[in-house]
Amino acid sequence: MGWDGILFLFAVVMSAILLFTMIIMFSDLECDYINPIDLCNKLNAFVLPETIAHGILWLAFLLNGSWIALLINTPLLAWNVNKIVNNRHMYDATEIFRTLPKHKEESFAKLGFYLLCFFYYLYRMIIGLLDTK
Amino acid sequence: MRIKFQSSIAGSPMANCPPSYQRCTFNAIPNTTQLLSKCKIPLALVTSPFRHLLPGDEPVPVIQPEQIVRCRRCRTYINPWVQFVEQGTRWKCNLCYVVNEVPSFFDWDPETRQPRDRMKRVELTHSVIDFIAPQEYMVRPPQPVVFFFVIDVSYNAIQSGMVATAAKAILSALDSIPNSDSRTKVGIMTVDSTLHFYNLNAQASEPQMLVVADLEDVYLPLPEDLLVLLSESRGIIESLLGRIGDMFKGTQNVQNALGPALKSAYKLLSPIGGKIIVLQATLPTLHDGALKAREDSKLLGTPKEATLLQPASGFYKALAVDCSRAQVSVDLFAFSPQYTDIATLSGLAKYTGGSTYYYPGFNAARPEDALKFANELTHFLGRPLLLEAVLRVRASRGIRLTAFHGNFFLRSTDLLALPNVNPDNAYAIEMTLEENLSTSLACFQSAVLCTASSGERRIRVVTLAVPTTGNLQDCFLSTDQSALAVLLAKKAVERSLSSKIEDARDAIVHKLTDIMGAYKQNFTTSGQAVQLLLPENLKLLPLLILGLLKHSAFRATGTIPSDMRAHVLGLQYVFPLEFAITNIHPRFWALHNIDIQGDNNGEVVFPPTLNLTSAKLERHGLYLLETGMEIFLWVGRAVPQEVCSLLFDKPSYDQIPTGKVILPALQNAYSQKVNGLINKIRHIRLLMFTSYPHLYIVKEDGDQSLRMWFLSHLIEDRIEQAYSYPQWLGHLRDQMAKVSSG
Repeated sequence: MGWDGILFLFAVVMSAILLFTMIIMFSDLECDYINPIDLCNKLNAFVLPETIAHGILWLAFLLNGSWIALLINTPLLAWNVNKIVNNRHMYDATEIFRTLPKHKEESFAKLGFYLLCFFYYLYRMIIGLLDTK
Repeated sequence: MRIKFQSSIAGSPMANCPPSYQRCTFNAIPNTTQLLSKCKIPLALVTSPFRHLLPGDEPVPVIQPEQIVRCRRCRTYINPWVQFVEQGTRWKCNLCYVVNEVPSFFDWDPETRQPRDRMKRVELTHSVIDFIAPQEYMVRPPQPVVFFFVIDVSYNAIQSGMVATAAKAILSALDSIPNSDSRTKVGIMTVDSTLHFYNLNAQASEPQMLVVADLEDVYLPLPEDLLVLLSESRGIIESLLGRIGDMFKGTQNVQNALGPALKSAYKLLSPIGGKIIVLQATLPTLHDGALKAREDSKLLGTPKEATLLQPASGFYKALAVDCSRAQVSVDLFAFSPQYTDIATLSGLAKYTGGSTYYYPGFNAARPEDALKFANELTHFLGRPLLLEAVLRVRASRGIRLTAFHGNFFLRSTDLLALPNVNPDNAYAIEMTLEENLSTSLACFQSAVLCTASSGERRIRVVTLAVPTTGNLQDCFLSTDQSALAVLLAKKAVERSLSSKIEDARDAIVHKLTDIMGAYKQNFTTSGQAVQLLLPENLKLLPLLILGLLKHSAFRATGTIPSDMRAHVLGLQYVFPLEFAITNIHPRFWALHNIDIQGDNNGEVVFPPTLNLTSAKLERHGLYLLETGMEIFLWVGRAVPQEVCSLLFDKPSYDQIPTGKVILPALQNAYSQKVNGLINKIRHIRLLMFTSYPHLYIVKEDGDQSLRMWFLSHLIEDRIEQAYSYPQWLGHLRDQMAKVSSG
């Protein structure tokens, strides 16, 4: 569980960093430090990688048999898949101002979720390390 | 209820903003958030800061003061509704209430060393002014006017005569293209399955065509000479335009590569900015932006119709956003006997602040079609142009701007990027109260920073002052029903495109019943429950809403092709206020009993308008109906024989032509009067919206579809499944019965 735990921890830390960046960029947009076209170009580069990384994480949980972690992450996976299927996952420069409050809420919710996951994985990793000793 | 101009700082009559420039849905704004939510009327502004001046309009004063005075905190321009405090040494901003210094040149002219009367200053006496902006307002030297034509020369385009008519119209308009500083640049490109560029170097004896067949990786074949100075290369351009019709005569090429053409046009124009004018007669078929004929008449009238109104390809929208960034705007002229996917292509104009012009079934062999296109294109090219503009609306503290409607790109939370300002377009801005308003006057200021076609950097400032009130009755009694109807129309367009047309219709009706319910709840007693009560100024609101529900943009019907539907929705989104009202509630006159002697000194006098109902149609009557986009002449079955000969030059009713016609200009007083009315309508509509309405003659027993089209504009009548006006009022009464009185 130890090495797995490190991997998972790494994935979650990356996601959290990404989200922080997104949140900072949204507030930059509101304060007019960045224009919507540049914002969308920057953020769109990370949307799919984040989803794929989360998908890989979920698969890793499945293969590893960590059922609790799997259960926790399944709603988020379903949410991401739903967005991709409806083609709403990319940011659109013409609509960004209209949908900005929604995007910000979503980012904060994800951040909170990842933070909780982080502590759970940390706990599991420590337990795993203690077990092997 | 309008604020007295005497209470403005200089007491000048021009301090009141003319409603044609900027209008608020309220003429007395509720000053608390609860009051605003209680009356259920949306707070919004409909503004067209650069509307084209109609004959009789005052020109906008242009000034170049020593310094442009602005509030130091909110950057509002000084306007007639500020207040002087501390014995006139400082001024208080009417939007953020911060006190600013009054500069010395307000009272003392440094050049002539004479004292000045500050109250005579144009900034303090006029609500609509133009400043000439100094260098701080420029990020780069002002750009010249640039026109780049992208002309479709595929089979459809040549066969319908579009190319020949366009070439002729552009040729005759070359003199009226704004070119006062001789920096104007023009370029032409033709497109079918390959891209054709033209070397327009003034030194050459004739234009040279360069064909680019590589559509994957578009490149410009020449570094210069594709876009040339109009004044220098005038001769070459004229020679090219004269030959373009013949060059492609007899072409059998049915393909069109609009996507690559636009990409290369964008490449050409992006260093400078300018206007791309697309004349398209075929569905783009090759490479980027290729579109399929996806029209499915089975889906029309069903909820699935909304899928046909969504863009099929994201290419045009993405290109439009890139263009907007490079200060390039795109205008689309679409002609096609078949499906042209206006829903996707109009994205080009929508996000770059341009316009879409649609000529379904265009055929240059019909003189009416050629005349309409030539008139509209000539006016379009010759009208005054403003470039690389941004529009920002500021409002008094406590008012927050929430949504924007119109053709533009939103570059920041409240900054509208308009690469080319379109004088035909209006913008609607929805607002809400964040906190209670503390003063008695709420002000709205629209400022457009732009480059004039003469190369000067200008700022147009339009200031509107509206009193606030704490009295709910005042709020209702001062509501502007036209502004309200137009705002609801624009919101409905947005809803139609983001979800479904049914949802848009439901939302409109819901809003109307909300407003009427709020009035009933607050101002009626239970004994009046059976009557439908509305204040005097909102009496026409149900009729306007009925007209909106029956409008071809929102009507529940399966007979409107999706190209037409997409086009009309796009138009409603940008219509200026007076035009929108005429389009929703057409003007209707009886011509058979007009007073011919009524015209004094050549002034055209219109007869009184009639209610829009077929009850007014008499069998011997002759009627004129105009919607702004079309003009209908209804001929009753029993129209007297002398009218046939006087007006139509035909011996009897049976021989009067139907459909699109040009009315002959005969030498008798009756014909002159009617033609005078029609020409006056066309003149005004061309100035207001670059619209040269076709004249359709509809005979009472003539073509069924033409008759149905005419009758569909009589909004007080029942048509298909929609209510008649009395039935509609009955329906509203039923809805109101569910609302309890206060």
